[in-house]
Amino acid sequence: MDKTTIICRCEEISCEEVEEVISNGGRTFDDVKRITRCGMGPCQAKICTSMVAEIIHQQTGLSLSEIPLPRMRMPLSPIKLETLATNSTSFSAVKSVLDDVEIEEGKVR
Amino acid sequence: MKTDVLIIGGGPAGLSAAIETASRGLDVTIVDEASQLGGQLNQQTQTLRPLPSVYEPMRGFELAYKLIEQIKGLSVKPLLNHRVVGFYADGSAGITDEENVFPVKAKKIIVASGAAEKAVAFPKWTMPGIMTIGAAQTLINRDFVMAGREAVIVGSSDFAMETAMQLMAVGTRVKAIIEKQSEVSAIDQEKVSELSRNGIPFYFNSFIKEVRGNGQVEQIDIELPDEVITLNVDLVCMDGGRMPILDVFYQLGCSFGFQEELGGWVPQYSNTFQTDREDVFIAGNAAGISTQGPLLLTGMIAGISVSEELQAIRSAEANEMRETLWKELGLLEYKEVYSGRVKHLENFTSPILKDQFIS
Ligand SMILES: Cc1cc2nc3c(=O)[nH]c(=O)nc-3n(C[C@H](O)[C@H](O)[C@H](O)COP(=O)(O)OP(=O)(O)OC[C@H]3O[C@@H](n4cnc5c(N)ncnc54)[C@H](O)[C@@H]3O)c2cc1C
Ligand code: FES
Repeated sequence: MDKTTIICRCEEISCEEVEEVISNGGRTFDDVKRITRCGMGPCQAKICTSMVAEIIHQQTGLSLSEIPLPRMRMPLSPIKLETLATNSTSFSAVKSVLDDVEIEEGKVR
Repeated sequence: MKTDVLIIGGGPAGLSAAIETASRGLDVTIVDEASQLGGQLNQQTQTLRPLPSVYEPMRGFELAYKLIEQIKGLSVKPLLNHRVVGFYADGSAGITDEENVFPVKAKKIIVASGAAEKAVAFPKWTMPGIMTIGAAQTLINRDFVMAGREAVIVGSSDFAMETAMQLMAVGTRVKAIIEKQSEVSAIDQEKVSELSRNGIPFYFNSFIKEVRGNGQVEQIDIELPDEVITLNVDLVCMDGGRMPILDVFYQLGCSFGFQEELGGWVPQYSNTFQTDREDVFIAGNAAGISTQGPLLLTGMIAGISVSEELQAIRSAEANEMRETLWKELGLLEYKEVYSGRVKHLENFTSPILKDQFIS
């Protein structure tokens, strides 16, 4: 594929940048994400996931079934913080890293 | 909010699951981020066949009406313009109406979130005027907006052939169908020959080399096996295939198996369409990419299984109905897809740890 072709349109990450991560040992979508921001845009990797998997497959010969899915966190699609915060006092926060934080007398324990 | 059955996705699969559950007296909630029920059927103008024996062949949007008609008068609450954004620690779905996020606690959940189209990357594919076939179909058939005057289509699946014909029907000139393989991938040869009869060239072993234009696509270079040709177009429709939408399953902690014939990674499920989370069932394209007839059947089976779990139908009766529906699924579904589905079920019930992914 042409090096300059965009793979992640939200974050404008090119094929070359994805390939560089792979040549440095990256083997999963999340490897590529952590180093380049590929997948961190408004669509939350809905567009670039399969294209990155395809490049990993072509570069390394790993079969697509050996390339794990990226982590899909909440919120599943973009949402205003204001909206997300509503009601949060009466329910434990929607499943997130906050689930692991314990609060005691208003402070993190 | 509480409900017996929460159905995520109001497309054909979600709606047929709603009919099966609500008609047995269960209280059903359907959540969909779109403003109307019917999912992708709303922009499908082609006649769908074969459909399950209870439906005669009809157009996609007509099937949507027909399904919606059947839930009228039943205890089905549609939450339209609502999105599922995650799940609470107690298993309630976190649903937003864009002002608020509120929990919906359901006894059983059926996820029928459908499929996403895959893009095809070539230089400058992000330019305006370049879109997936589904996007072009949505523009012309649902929004009544011309997607372009002169188009090419990249890919040759059944869905691409349908879209080519629908574009022509609204006056778009389809100048070429570009396929990187050496033959069409569509199974329905009738549509392929109809397009050929209309003088549309098929370029095999070919791909888009370059796109040019000032702010939007105006010209493309196509690399054929022995030459490069240039076409003036203002629309490029790409067909990169489809994959199940998995984010909801991931959040629910479901396991996935890799099954090429079903579209790649697919949540694992048994022949009752129950996933490895006993309160979560699956239906439609999310359970493997297929055609509308089989998708309706998967929704019906999931609906019957949930009715059984919630004691709205006796097990013996449920088993019998499922058996009949599975038989029909075997008849209606493309052979490769059906055998992929059977393999997918086997890998779940007797796991080979390879090709499995646990979220
Ligand atoms: C634009 C487009 C056009 C298509 N046209 C054709 C065609 O012409 N021919 C063909 O054979 N196939 C076509 N398909 C394939 C299509 O996916 C199937 O025909 C069929 O509609 C799938 O049924 P389903 O019920 O599984 O999913 P869908 O009909 O997609 O229904 C799923 C519903 O779930 C909702 N949803 C998903 N996630 C969430 C969430 N987190 N919160 C709330 N709601 C959610 C979506 O809004 C959607 O309405 C098309 C696909 C697309 C994307
Ligand atoms: S295309 Fe990569 S995040 Fe949207």
